[in-house]
Amino acid sequence: MSIGVETAPAEMQVGYGTALSPSGKLGVWWFIASEIMVFGGLIGSYVLFRVAHGGWSDQASHVNWRLGAINTLVLVTSSLTMILALNAVRIERRQRAARFLLMTVLLGLTFLGIKSIEYTHEISEGFTPTSGMFWSFYYIMTGLHGLHVLGGIILNATLYIAAVRGTLWSGSRRSRVEFAGLYWHFVDVVWIFLFPLLYLA
Amino acid sequence: MNSNEPTGSTAESLDRSSIVIWMWLVGLLGAGMMVFTLPIPRIPALLLIFGIAVFKATLVLRDYMHLKGEKILIYAIALTPLLLAIALALVLIPDIVFRR
Repeated sequence: MSIGVETAPAEMQVGYGTALSPSGKLGVWWFIASEIMVFGGLIGSYVLFRVAHGGWSDQASHVNWRLGAINTLVLVTSSLTMILALNAVRIERRQRAARFLLMTVLLGLTFLGIKSIEYTHEISEGFTPTSGMFWSFYYIMTGLHGLHVLGGIILNATLYIAAVRGTLWSGSRRSRVEFAGLYWHFVDVVWIFLFPLLYLA
Repeated sequence: MNSNEPTGSTAESLDRSSIVIWMWLVGLLGAGMMVFTLPIPRIPALLLIFGIAVFKATLVLRDYMHLKGEKILIYAIALTPLLLAIALALVLIPDIVFRR
């Protein structure tokens, strides 16, 4: 598949080790692998339970798919600002990098804000984690994902503060933006699957 | 200037590429919502919706997470748990079939 997209030249890539010297990047991918197992197990269990219990579609019809779609747009846009921050780090445009990191943090907070509005509405209508299997899965999966978003926000906010203070720019510290980006994009990928599973199916 | 240092034009080109990917992601989100709201039979609609989700995830993994240019070790690390999770779901399918 090619849609006219380029990869960063080797000299612009940060955080790479050699085949014999594991880098921080390898560690981040190991962490992501463990997260794939966690979310993969949850999603697999959800799909199996849903196939086994046909009545879940009625319960799923009570979630607000419009807010879910807006949140998807917010998270996808935050992935863009994260990659733009990384591109800015690669060419040492410090203010630009800090600005995009801040935007990523704000978009993450927007995501959590919209999610909390959804939770408030659903709970006020009597749909709590104990209202049935669908709602148990819904709150566990979106809640766990929300915690990951919160973790990403804290990570990116730390990087933003470091960028503003000027402590982000020394040597290998710049590669932290790439590592944080890998994590943030993974959280986005998880939501790309949670949204159709919980809101549209 | 060191010849290995990135140039501003290369960085702008990368920014443009990232924005193109974002536009694809937004377009695919719109396409998924259109499938959801149009009166399409349930099974084809679900297949389309999840096909679009897989395409979106592939774009993010390939271009934002740079899997396109990664070493095979990274692919192995990422794919192993994915295959294990799929296997976990597959081995549990008979349990559901026999319960019915």
